[in-house]
Amino acid sequence: MKCLVAVHEHMVDVAVVGAGQTKYGNHALGLKGMWAEAASKAFASVDGDFDPASVEEAFIGSLAFGGSQLGNTAALLTEHSGMDGVAVRRVENACASSGFAFRDAWMAIKSGQADVVVAGGIEKMNDLTPERKRYWLGVSGDTEWERLAGLTFPGTYALMARRYFHEFDSTHDDLVHVSVKNHLHGSMNADAHIQKEVSFEKAAGGFMVADPLTLYDCCPTSDGASCVVLAADHVAHKFTDTPVWVKGAGAASDNLALHDRPSITQLKATQVASAKAYGMAGLDARQIDVAEVHDCFTIAEVLATEDLGFAQRGEGGRFAREGEGRINEGTTTVNSSGGLKSKGHPLGATGTGQVVEVFKQLRGQVEAGRQVRDAETALTHNVGGSGATCSVHVFGRDR
Amino acid sequence: MSDEVWMGYLLHHEPSYTVVQSPFVLNGQRVFGADSDATTLAVAALLHRLEHDNVSAISVPEGIDASSLSAATGVALHDGDAEEEPPWEVLMSDEAIVVVSQRGATVEIPVFDIEVEVDVEFHAALEAAWGQELSENHVSQGAYVSRAQYDEAAASRLQLHGQANEQGVVWPPRFSHVVDGHSASGMRLQRCGKVMTWTTLSAAGAPSEFSLRAPVLGGVSTVLLALDDGPNGVFLMVDDEESIIEMDARMELVFRRLYAQEGFVRYGLKARAIHD
Repeated sequence: MKCLVAVHEHMVDVAVVGAGQTKYGNHALGLKGMWAEAASKAFASVDGDFDPASVEEAFIGSLAFGGSQLGNTAALLTEHSGMDGVAVRRVENACASSGFAFRDAWMAIKSGQADVVVAGGIEKMNDLTPERKRYWLGVSGDTEWERLAGLTFPGTYALMARRYFHEFDSTHDDLVHVSVKNHLHGSMNADAHIQKEVSFEKAAGGFMVADPLTLYDCCPTSDGASCVVLAADHVAHKFTDTPVWVKGAGAASDNLALHDRPSITQLKATQVASAKAYGMAGLDARQIDVAEVHDCFTIAEVLATEDLGFAQRGEGGRFAREGEGRINEGTTTVNSSGGLKSKGHPLGATGTGQVVEVFKQLRGQVEAGRQVRDAETALTHNVGGSGATCSVHVFGRDR
Repeated sequence: MSDEVWMGYLLHHEPSYTVVQSPFVLNGQRVFGADSDATTLAVAALLHRLEHDNVSAISVPEGIDASSLSAATGVALHDGDAEEEPPWEVLMSDEAIVVVSQRGATVEIPVFDIEVEVDVEFHAALEAAWGQELSENHVSQGAYVSRAQYDEAAASRLQLHGQANEQGVVWPPRFSHVVDGHSASGMRLQRCGKVMTWTTLSAAGAPSEFSLRAPVLGGVSTVLLALDDGPNGVFLMVDDEESIIEMDARMELVFRRLYAQEGFVRYGLKARAIHD
């Protein structure tokens, strides 16, 4: 018991003191250029003096989809951001790669092994020919069973959507509401891939990708990079007077294949990860002002609002229908950035890209019209594949 | 003797042999369906035979994937070095007709009334796509199921080998041989289930393994089935017959071609509607 008390007394708190990203989309820059841009923006966002050489550890999430550097990607990238020689590694957990990179960075500080750590993510997806790109579709599902059954992720999430409509009072119209909302939010985000509103009628009538999901239910294929600077409590004041504190962190995994899970209309990994994060933060879902949730497909946002506790089980469709996630309209604003649907989804960059958004939201630094009023608390939710991995973080202006 | 539709094929059963024919016809000749070949017909014939006879070993001609046939049926292949020929053999014809016969039996190929005329262009496009897929130069640059990985899972993929204990049934098996904390023994699951959900993926969104045929087929359809023995699984629908898929509809699993890569065909179980 004495030992446990001693450990607790030395446990440090972790703050985000800088965050930046490239615009997501069809990017002219390659891997090195995009990372350099995201890192320089993150370093420049630090209010005080910041020397990249002071970074002790770096964790960079990526699937290494494109960009021509499959092995040792992270070492190549840090060469181009003034962090030469830093202890760095690539973190791979599919679309949750940088959510877990952020978690690893948080743990590095929490454990007392480092004071200043960088977490980031990157993906180059649009430099491949269509045929080569097709090889990468669905690589993070269960290759042996799901891929051989013809599934890529639009198909897997379509299976969830149809089952959800069968089990609950919900139709495809509810997914259209998610799409319309996220396009509205993204239209105001200068870093978003698709900065365009979409009408309900247009979103409802999109090209059928995987029945019942249409083009407007699916996130775009985006290039992008994001970067976040974390610091221990005893050094954070050197960098800023307005840090964003990591109040809770949770992560979990589940069966890789959708069909191996007892329920396909909820993500157990999200439920477990968020319960841990809320518990550590001492908060519940109703106290979260802004949430960046993993809406790779619109049905994923509906399920996430339930699994994260913003809506009751079976009520995610109604939550979307009634516009509860719109900026400043409900208790919790969902995907103020436009989410993966509109901001874009450069796989490995998405998790820390979500942190960039909540860092700015909690410091009142997003574009006019997109700022969540009096935002004090925030949450990020990053999912790998169809729910095999998930990391959730809770943030606050207060320590 | 009897005639029936069996696993999507036309089947004629005699005490000493079984004939399986494709229902599809082109220019008066029986031709294979979109995801069928001589191996899939031979597996169907042998599975039917196994309901009546104990077939312990069989010899197969060139043109049939012997290891997949054995993996799908559990019947041992004839050892070429053995002195005695096995009592059963697979016979092929120039058309899409396969016979499983007792060695030396006199076989008469029956004439079935059922003839489904195939579209010439559709058939040619699919044949061309399969030809391309079967090239040894047709390789994956991304996710990939190697021959070794395919072989390792063959029993669970082709015969639905699972695991069971008092806690329930698990499929595919876990290598730990532990289910919910309790050790489990092997079992073979029934090939039937009901639809929990399904989707049809557009050709552009299909995995690269299906990229040559998906445009011809108009996409690929996948069902998630609750198998009668408990576990769930995802399966492609058969390509060679059209089905309207509905929630809770009963499906059976039949042996078909999935795709080809690096010169060999990956076979698997696909779903087809059970018509009462």
